[in-house]
Amino acid sequence: MNAAYAILRKDLQLEFRSKESILAMWIFSLLIFVIFNFTFEVSRLVMLEIAPGLLWVAFIFSGMFGLNHSFAVEKEHGNLRAMALMPVDGSQIYLGKFLSVTVIMLMFEMLIFPIFIIFYDLQLSLNMLLLIPVLLAGTIGFTSLGTILSGVSVQTRNQQILLSLLLWPLVSPIIIWSVTLTSMVLGGNIAGGFYPLLVRVISFDVIFFTISYLLFNFILED
Amino acid sequence: MTKIALSLSGVSKDFGRIIALRNINLAVHTGEFVSILGRNGAGKTTLLNIISGVSKPSSGTVKLFGGAPHLAEHKAKMAVISHEMFLYGGLTAYENLEYYARIYNVQDSAAAIITALKAVELLHRRFDLVATFSRGMTQRLTIARALLHSPALLLLDEPFTGLDQHAVGMLIAILAKQKQHGRTILLTTHDLHTAHTLSERYIILEKHRIVQDGSMAETDPDELRSKYFTAERMEV
Repeated sequence: MNAAYAILRKDLQLEFRSKESILAMWIFSLLIFVIFNFTFEVSRLVMLEIAPGLLWVAFIFSGMFGLNHSFAVEKEHGNLRAMALMPVDGSQIYLGKFLSVTVIMLMFEMLIFPIFIIFYDLQLSLNMLLLIPVLLAGTIGFTSLGTILSGVSVQTRNQQILLSLLLWPLVSPIIIWSVTLTSMVLGGNIAGGFYPLLVRVISFDVIFFTISYLLFNFILED
Repeated sequence: MTKIALSLSGVSKDFGRIIALRNINLAVHTGEFVSILGRNGAGKTTLLNIISGVSKPSSGTVKLFGGAPHLAEHKAKMAVISHEMFLYGGLTAYENLEYYARIYNVQDSAAAIITALKAVELLHRRFDLVATFSRGMTQRLTIARALLHSPALLLLDEPFTGLDQHAVGMLIAILAKQKQHGRTILLTTHDLHTAHTLSERYIILEKHRIVQDGSMAETDPDELRSKYFTAERMEV
């Protein structure tokens, strides 16, 4: 756990100092909200239907930037090789990277969500607290897979293209279900299908995390 | 009789059709300082990568301290210094060493970091970002990073490349001290005179094989140069 904590701490130190990821992710999401809000003149009802999708588009595209940046920093001065030389199991390195990417992405989501509420004129209610497990589950599913695939793609020349090609097909179910769950919460329609769907997302999270945790050792090998 | 720190038996490495190493047999005793000499592309870096466990041999066996090099307990006893710094420009010198101290479980890390920074004359710059350091200063910090956990085996891949005279002198002094402390050291270099000053044994890699393995004390570096490193030979 010492190594995972060291990596998490180091990544957060780097991020808090440069604010490179969070700032870029925030600006990118803001642009998405501005463009969609002012380009399409639609009724509030229609807006409520497309808003959850927009929110997750912003999260995921910004998250892709965060994932790419997280491992790009390891390329600097050969740090990826330094990781292969470390006297720790690859799973510890995965855990550290996964935690740092997840924490950074959740912080970004906390910063962008109030802007989303304002832009789409959403009513605040107690029901919205249910978005917390939805955002957590959706984000963890995305970052658990994204971390290992980012570790694979960073060693190639076409890092960003490869990451998109590998990640999108695998993570799509989680994103689609997260959009549906967000839609249920924002529409006040949580009776029936909400909890079983949330459990399904969490189950996928557990599967993705466990597989990635166990396999990370292999991607550090030559 | 000293223990064998590392041994390679019948090690070959290829990358598809490209052969990097052929049938390498080598045993290095604890406390020995061995220079690996050879021109570019001879396989020196590949050899160090295999010894460090970063790369697996295509055939043959490697033993580090009697076991496989990729085991965590063996990796903990080893440090690599190469042209890659293994540092983060966005962290200070102190934070970089603090990070590695955690990874390598260094006891009393604060004192160890200060000692390492003092040894490379960077204590006064400990709170500065590494991104603001010159190449020589960064390489000195790399040395501090490598020595932080007191490794039993040091693997040095062309560590003098890009260093100014002051940094070269400092690195030579540090290596001489490490040798006195009984560390096992493997150094790849083009600089025959430095290799002759520091090491007691050399091996020459040519065309991916060991073609000579000898004692530095019994060898004239100029003779070695004329035999293996002349312009005509480089063109072969």
